[in-house]
Amino acid sequence: MKIFAAVLLNLALVLPACLSPAQAADPLRLGLLHTLSPAPFYMAQHSGYFREAGIDLTFRFFDAAQPIAAAAVSGDLDVGVTALTGGFFNLAEKGTLKVIGGGLHEQRGYEGSAILASNQAYDAGLTGMEKLGGRSFGITQYGSSFHYMIGRIAEAKGFDLKTVTLRPLQQVSNMVAAVGSGQVDATIAIASQAKALVAAKQAHILGWAGDVVPYQLTAVFAPTATIDGKTDVLQRFAKAYQRGVADYRAAFLRLDAQGRPIADANTDAAIKAIVEYVFVGDPDARTKILAGVGYYDEGAALDVADVVAQIVWFKAQGLVKGDADPKSILDTRFLPTR
Amino acid sequence: MARLDGPVRFRGGGFAPRDNRWASAGTLLGLVGLWQMAASAGLIKSLFLPPPIAIGAALWQLIVSGVLWQHLSASLVRLAWGWTSGTFFGIGMGLAVGLWSACRSPGMAVVAALFPIPKIALVPLFIVWFGIGEGSKIATLAFGVFFPTVIATAGAVDNVPRGLIRMGQSFGLSTAAIVRTIVLPGALPAILSGFRVTSSIAIVLLVAAEMIGAEQGIGAFVLSAGNLYDTDNLLAGIVVLSLLGLLVAWAIGQLERALLAWR
Amino acid sequence: MTGLRLTLTGICHAYRDLTVLDGIDLTVEPGEVTVLVGPSGCGKSTLLGIAGGLLQPSAGRVAVDGDIPDDCLNPLTYVFQDFALLPWRSVADNIALVLGKCPNPAARVAEVLALTGLTEFADAWPKQLSGGMRQRVGIARALAVRPACLLMDEPLSALDAQTRDLLLEEFSAIVARAGTTTLYVTHNLAEAVRLGQQIVVLSRRPGRVREIVRIDRPLTGRTARDPDLVAMEEHLWRTIRDDAAAAERERIDGKA
Repeated sequence: MKIFAAVLLNLALVLPACLSPAQAADPLRLGLLHTLSPAPFYMAQHSGYFREAGIDLTFRFFDAAQPIAAAAVSGDLDVGVTALTGGFFNLAEKGTLKVIGGGLHEQRGYEGSAILASNQAYDAGLTGMEKLGGRSFGITQYGSSFHYMIGRIAEAKGFDLKTVTLRPLQQVSNMVAAVGSGQVDATIAIASQAKALVAAKQAHILGWAGDVVPYQLTAVFAPTATIDGKTDVLQRFAKAYQRGVADYRAAFLRLDAQGRPIADANTDAAIKAIVEYVFVGDPDARTKILAGVGYYDEGAALDVADVVAQIVWFKAQGLVKGDADPKSILDTRFLPTR
Repeated sequence: MARLDGPVRFRGGGFAPRDNRWASAGTLLGLVGLWQMAASAGLIKSLFLPPPIAIGAALWQLIVSGVLWQHLSASLVRLAWGWTSGTFFGIGMGLAVGLWSACRSPGMAVVAALFPIPKIALVPLFIVWFGIGEGSKIATLAFGVFFPTVIATAGAVDNVPRGLIRMGQSFGLSTAAIVRTIVLPGALPAILSGFRVTSSIAIVLLVAAEMIGAEQGIGAFVLSAGNLYDTDNLLAGIVVLSLLGLLVAWAIGQLERALLAWR
Repeated sequence: MTGLRLTLTGICHAYRDLTVLDGIDLTVEPGEVTVLVGPSGCGKSTLLGIAGGLLQPSAGRVAVDGDIPDDCLNPLTYVFQDFALLPWRSVADNIALVLGKCPNPAARVAEVLALTGLTEFADAWPKQLSGGMRQRVGIARALAVRPACLLMDEPLSALDAQTRDLLLEEFSAIVARAGTTTLYVTHNLAEAVRLGQQIVVLSRRPGRVREIVRIDRPLTGRTARDPDLVAMEEHLWRTIRDDAAAAERERIDGKA
């Protein structure tokens, strides 16, 4: 009995030392959506890049993008990755959050978010994005990334957003269901969902958002407490994240001569890492991941011009208040810019 | 033997609290004043709770820009339809349950089974049934109002003194006349108190009803402001909802005074 | 005298296994006041409910025969102990409520209000009236339908003694003048000897007819201190006393 207890005690003392490098690792709490979108973080964590950087990174998963920013404001997170929305900018505007690097980016040639038309609307003549004026359009909420995308599409395609009847539906699943059943004329859905709907002959793809508006969809941000108080930890975090992004790009974002994505051993290894966090135990995980991966810029660069454009647009819509300089909510010391 | 000598000590009184309008208004104003002072002194960060003046400014902006009226009118139409239809059918079913054995147990079983369902959970179902437009919103409100109305009405009918109904029968009044002249007026006070509850429920459900697919509406406005972390407008919207509740309660009070003068 | 005769034959009534009335035979003669007395719980009010068709007897039958006036709206008409006035209707509207089939209800209302001295209270709410005034409304309402038979269920029991005496005088004058067949339930023996031409004494539960007494003096000449009536009241009390004492000590549900 005594020996057994002694062995346990030894294990308890030795195990943490084995897992962490020589000196004690700095704890860091990362808030992220429990979806495929933060895949580079899963890969970096799987490969131990954060541990090698002396960081004990804990994932705090969320079901929606908005609460991630709120949790960072209330001090429950040290760093986060989330969608850039009106709500995020309103919180950042008050000086507590800063965007430090890029995440998912809508990119020409990469199928990210699709504009979908319902069968009824398509048959009634909604065959192109430029005809969206006067139609009903499903979004999650005012100030969401979907609201922004349809706004920028309106500018690019020359119709007035005011003529579009926006339908806030709260959840992405509601948007997909509403366009599938014809309750809204059009909406936006990510590639995997959009293709599934088209395959089921329940909707038509009018085009890809990335082809119209190259757009910084998600970004890495940190509360000022981390930026000022743990600058060094955050720098090491950024480097480890960049290694994850490099692996991600190698696995999913290389295209062949015909513009089709290349899948090889890198891809298989990445999928193995990702399924530890999402699609756990799902037999179709590989297909779903390949259909759902989005574009990350090299080095996790931040599209500063687009983020500034977003803030300007949200302010023009009256969705973001205050008159702070857009640049003041960015901190580009940690990661490159595009 | 002990002796009792002297005046009898007064030992009655008390247990009769009185209302004081000025005290209630004063308390609310005092709390708001305290809140403003704490905010001005920097004790409360505006990110966590905006000061009353900022909320007032947001409200004023909503009023002068006409935005408030757009939202409010959309919500009032929904409230009117949803509450009225829920109340109409609720009173009908409550009367049936209160008057006829054939309806009583089946009706109350259905009510007991469906009343506790959170109406928010049914919103997706209502969208499939009634569409994304006004139908599902009105249905959400009507559904929320219906069950408490049934319960209030059935209870009210049960509490109509049976002696009055026997009197009606003894003078040869028809069943319809008894329901119209004795049961309904006798149940009216309890039905009107039910209105206080159901009108509050309807206002609470407004936010749930306007969650899906509402471009206009005070509930949609509050949700959207919350999503945008636009706390000034969020609280301005909440103030509007609260004032709406007070206004409806006042209107029901006036209705009671007009209809129940005999009490 | 013309009017309605009310005949009760073999009336039995039971609530579950508790027998309340056991084989009551009784005739209410036309134009007479029949008073039902008995110890509390003997089923007097139940019998009255059966007589007017408000309660279903477990056995026996109630029959009426005789002429009713052309303008009679409700031959068998009750006056209730608790008045049974609708609190949300004014005095006049309470009376108008039961005049649905009357060609000129307003005139009827005015007439019975004048008869009972209620004219100036026509627009009052019931809660604004004293108990005595409320029962006057109850009586006015009963008279308004031109009843062929009045069924009165302890109409004065809810009133204080002074009001009771005043109403008793008024009511006996009204009945004496109109000559309406009346079945009057009371536990008050003084009321019984002042009003009754026929006094039916019921035994304690299960109620049976113990004695029937007749007083063949006109109602108009009777006073509270009349020695014959006082003697009659004492006789009735002796008849009832033991039953009343036993009934009072009995559990309400009838079980030992």
